[in-house]
Amino acid sequence: MSVVNDTQAAASTGTETFEPKILAFACHWCTYSGADLAGLNRMSYPANVRVLRVPCSGRVNPQYILTALNKGVDGVLVCGCHPGDCHYVSGNYYAKRRLMAFRRMLQYTGLEPERFQVRWISGSEAGKFRDTVTSVVEQVRELGPYKPDPALAALIDSSVDASNPVLPEGGEA
Amino acid sequence: MLLKKERLNDILTDMAKQARVYVPVSPDANDGGGVGKSGKAKMTRFELYSPGTAPNFDLVNTTMPPKDMLFPQTQKMYRYGFDTEGNAYIDIIHDSDEVVIFGMRSCDARSIECMDDVFLSMGYDDEFYKQRREKLATVAIGCASVAETCFCDSMGLDPNAAPGADVQLSPGVDGQSYVVVAQSEKGQALVASWQPYLEDSTAETTQVSCALKVNGDGLKDKLEQMFDHPIWEQLSKKCLTCGTCTYVCPTCHCFDISQENKMKDGERFRCWDSCMFSAYSEMAGNHNPRPTKMPRVRQRFMHKLCFFEDRYGKTLCVGCGRCVEKCPVALDITMLIDDIQAADLSKAEEVA
Amino acid sequence: MTAIQESIQKRAAELLESGEVTQVIAWTNGRFTNQTSPLFIQNAADAGKIVFNEYCVNTLAKYVLNEKIAGKVGVCVRGCEARGINRMIADNQLKREEVYLLGIPCEGMKDRETGEALDKCLTCTHKNPVVYDELLGAEVTDTVSEEIDKVRFAQIEAIEGMSREERLEYFNNVFNSCIRCYACREVCPVCTCRECFVDQLRAGWQGKQNNLNENRFYNLIRVFHIGDRCVECGECARACPMGLPLMELNRKWIRDLDELFAAGEEGLSDELDNTLGRYKTDDIEEFM
Repeated sequence: MSVVNDTQAAASTGTETFEPKILAFACHWCTYSGADLAGLNRMSYPANVRVLRVPCSGRVNPQYILTALNKGVDGVLVCGCHPGDCHYVSGNYYAKRRLMAFRRMLQYTGLEPERFQVRWISGSEAGKFRDTVTSVVEQVRELGPYKPDPALAALIDSSVDASNPVLPEGGEA
Repeated sequence: MLLKKERLNDILTDMAKQARVYVPVSPDANDGGGVGKSGKAKMTRFELYSPGTAPNFDLVNTTMPPKDMLFPQTQKMYRYGFDTEGNAYIDIIHDSDEVVIFGMRSCDARSIECMDDVFLSMGYDDEFYKQRREKLATVAIGCASVAETCFCDSMGLDPNAAPGADVQLSPGVDGQSYVVVAQSEKGQALVASWQPYLEDSTAETTQVSCALKVNGDGLKDKLEQMFDHPIWEQLSKKCLTCGTCTYVCPTCHCFDISQENKMKDGERFRCWDSCMFSAYSEMAGNHNPRPTKMPRVRQRFMHKLCFFEDRYGKTLCVGCGRCVEKCPVALDITMLIDDIQAADLSKAEEVA
Repeated sequence: MTAIQESIQKRAAELLESGEVTQVIAWTNGRFTNQTSPLFIQNAADAGKIVFNEYCVNTLAKYVLNEKIAGKVGVCVRGCEARGINRMIADNQLKREEVYLLGIPCEGMKDRETGEALDKCLTCTHKNPVVYDELLGAEVTDTVSEEIDKVRFAQIEAIEGMSREERLEYFNNVFNSCIRCYACREVCPVCTCRECFVDQLRAGWQGKQNNLNENRFYNLIRVFHIGDRCVECGECARACPMGLPLMELNRKWIRDLDELFAAGEEGLSDELDNTLGRYKTDDIEEFM
């Protein structure tokens, strides 16, 4: 997963077209296989998505979601097995409760609902994986970069004296 | 020199053209909000002045002290990494703006003297602090009224005069003007630039004193013998070990240096730390010499009232009363001083 | 009030004298008018210091965890404290026999500066302690739950009624004002982790900088960790030195969990029954 810092992200939003970065947490047992099947079937979907394999959707701590957004991702997708199909019997049921409430909380505090989505995608649903990813990418592209605080982004680098770079002693010249 | 209150805005606007001017602002004055309307905190602080800002110079004390301008809660120090050609670089982050803090109180002015001792004396100058300090001019306003939590005159300060400030404004008894006195070279330059707005006369100024009195006599000598006194166990019981007192304190100056890395770049910054937190004293290997709240509370008050005086010859408590006001459990430093004064020293010897 | 104060003083002295408890946690006067502060006494002779009036704003429940190490603790419990105690027992932080609970019915407390009822007391649903060893004073009547719910969730509904941009700005203001002193965490009877995620420096969950992103992260994760167990004592918002409306975050969870999963109120019993720690196969579905 490539993470771009705020300044680079800011620099890339000028004249170029905006390419969103989507982080997809995919459960190893269902969605990851589904994504694999999509590849085997030579289905094409946007390259904006970075798939991160997790053992179970229940492994996805909400801290991951916020951290991803803070570090420069524009949208997060969490995918897991259909309810009833969890390899660990109940992981996705817990995930469902947690993420339903957390998603409401993020929206309550001002996040666009499109930036954080959850879908159940089984190992055979290659088409659903492709469609989901495509639709999330398009929705986030529409919204633009994730910038909850424009003032903060502007502050960064506001006072660097670049004319005075100091090299560490013995560092590379 | 006399300054009419109605000319204040002219002076501030003038100064704001050359420097960043910070003035005390209460949220109500600026956005008509407060919690429930804008989500902004119910607190007062020094904010950047721009024409349209409504400063509130009648606030006895701002909730947050002005130390943020000299010693920000988060201060970026330098950026490092590898450039596109693979060469290592370090960019030191300088802050080069002139800053004026306008309208601080005697306690805040003294707190800057304390921080100067820490960061600029004993043979070591803190580069980042020094840079900001040299660009800083302070304008103190004598207190026209005091809060019930104010006890600066018991700590050896005078609410009517701040000798450490560059300019002292003393409120006139008529409530319409300030008597202006420059107290340093920087102050003279500032006052000179205000000339068009000043009147060449004088007025009688208000004199206030704090209602809350604390007996600080012999406190340091007594505390020196009280490190092992059982009183600390009892005094610390109600402490939550939150960082409120240290963050609202104008003289608390502990910081932690940390860094954040992203790919090939990173930046190093320092941020306020609090001796109330467990991580403050944690060492490599997870050993913590202050594992519980008793030693942490003892450290905080010993530092304020004893250790700092040992090293720099003045107490680190300036009597501003912010911690007294804001502590969620009313662990009040003035009551603690009373308890210390009343403590029986023979008990410490028993334990020792 | 005076009658209750006298009964607390009398019972505290008796309990300490008989050795039933090693210390009693109550309130005493602070320096200023109408200011109170938590009090810890170990000797019956000090019972006269105990004060109970309408300015006892501190919720005492959390102190029990530290103090129980020295032996059984007597503690004054009102509705809010009692629910906190239940919560800590459910979370395995405390055993019922480690505390002796002096129940106090409570009509609500006032802010010493304004003289008005505290925010946290305006939304109180249990004025009588839900668990106690003895009750000092006559039970008071709770406000009808429909009426209190209007007050409890009024602010949540007001915020939900705003546009997304307004909500973002509102909470940006809240999070921007946070100084991360962690008073909300320290005072919370639900925040009982030995090591908070904030202090896991090596894992690096919580960056040390004070900026909007980090403050938002802290506040949202704090509320995620406690949201399904919150006993609504409101101490986080009261303790906050910046006066931030933290209960507006907690109550959002409380109401969502209630609507989605029929969570109900927490801390009414000492059974462990977290809404996010259990599931039903027929839970409402929206991720298909």
